[in-house]
Amino acid sequence: MATPSSLDALVAALRCLPGVGPKSAQRMVYHLLQHDPRGAERLAKALETALRTLRHCDRCNNFTEAEVCDRCLSSKRDPSQLCVVEMPADLNIMEQTHAFQGLYYVLMGRLSPLDGIGPRELAFDRLLARASDGVVKEVILATNLTNEGEATAHYLSEMLHARGVKVSRIARGLPLGSELEYSDAASVAQAFIERRDY
Amino acid sequence: MTPPHSRVTQQRQRVDGAAAFLLHAYPYSETSLILEVFARDHGRLAILARGARRPRSALRAVLVSFQPLELGWFGGGEVKTLAKAEWLGGMPLLAREGLLLGYYLNELLLKLLPREDAHANLFDAYAAALAALSRGATETAELRRFEKAMLRELGYGLLLDHDGAGNEIDVAGRYRYLVERGAMPEALAESGVLVTGKTLLDLAADDYSDARSLAESKQLMRHLLSHYLSGQPLQTRRVFLELQDV
Ligand SMILES: [Zn+2]
Repeated sequence: MATPSSLDALVAALRCLPGVGPKSAQRMVYHLLQHDPRGAERLAKALETALRTLRHCDRCNNFTEAEVCDRCLSSKRDPSQLCVVEMPADLNIMEQTHAFQGLYYVLMGRLSPLDGIGPRELAFDRLLARASDGVVKEVILATNLTNEGEATAHYLSEMLHARGVKVSRIARGLPLGSELEYSDAASVAQAFIERRDY
Repeated sequence: MTPPHSRVTQQRQRVDGAAAFLLHAYPYSETSLILEVFARDHGRLAILARGARRPRSALRAVLVSFQPLELGWFGGGEVKTLAKAEWLGGMPLLAREGLLLGYYLNELLLKLLPREDAHANLFDAYAAALAALSRGATETAELRRFEKAMLRELGYGLLLDHDGAGNEIDVAGRYRYLVERGAMPEALAESGVLVTGKTLLDLAADDYSDARSLAESKQLMRHLLSHYLSGQPLQTRRVFLELQDV
């Protein structure tokens, strides 16, 4: 007997999730339909609502339901500092530090020339316009310390400097509490190369 | 850097201690990566790195592009399985424009080099180019040497000391370089890249101390490589141009 087409379509739809192959998609479908139909209904509704209501904040590019998100509107944040991160998850960890009171811009990616991701795909012009609003005094580049993150930071810093904005970059170092003996050699090497006056 | 010779053990499909660079990596499932690797004695390979995307994977600090690595793998199929990876060090991370030039080299290797075909000379030229970039060089002789090695290894050797008619290149002459025909005296050809005789001779001798030779060599290499890329556009070049444009 052939599989009903709505079941096939559901399996195929779930495969758009990262890391979900045909087998795990099928497992999820049978689980939802057989053991958790109410969960499936919640999932369907939540997805539908999120797609209908979420958009990118005009100021920080993060997901929000309003034109401008609550954080960007908050009077408790310092609008003179703008921290650029790759993804919303990076914003979340920055918030957990309680070290930063300024505002954010979420790029939703990083430069990756070999994957065809350049300044156009990342809408660099939107960030540059945001950073040259006259209120922002310092842009803190908190893209990842990977080759892609570093390339992103380099080109953004050139463009921001050209617009007269002060730019800083998060420091590279060893994790807090780490002992050299137990650290990976590449990180120790880079911490050594980037040593500072003390 | 003296790359250690790799040992191929009795199990023919197990390789240990291979000098290699990571060219690119693609996500594979939630936790793994497919690596595109350029190994000195094995050429370009695809290798599955299981668990490399896990948050605390030790491979994260090892599987870094533009850094000399020593890799071990097994498997005879099209995609090998990573057994071991070590970071060898000795080369600072690429920075600034050096990063984009590094991606350019990687894109050439990914697009032009067939799989599992060893090219030790090209590997050495690649390592030398990366070393120059890691010292902060940009418009550098090592890039031209790499491009030249690339064409030679692919079997598209350059004819640089004689013109297409078999006459010696005149250092003071002006030529047009045509793909697969070589240099023609400017008056005898209508198309092709314009170069001076000195550029051709300097390119033959890998001497780029003359700024004009370096610049003309760059144009010539770009023309030849784009021919052998059969019209496939280079993403790194598109991104580079867009970055100048923002
Ligand atoms: Zn916002």
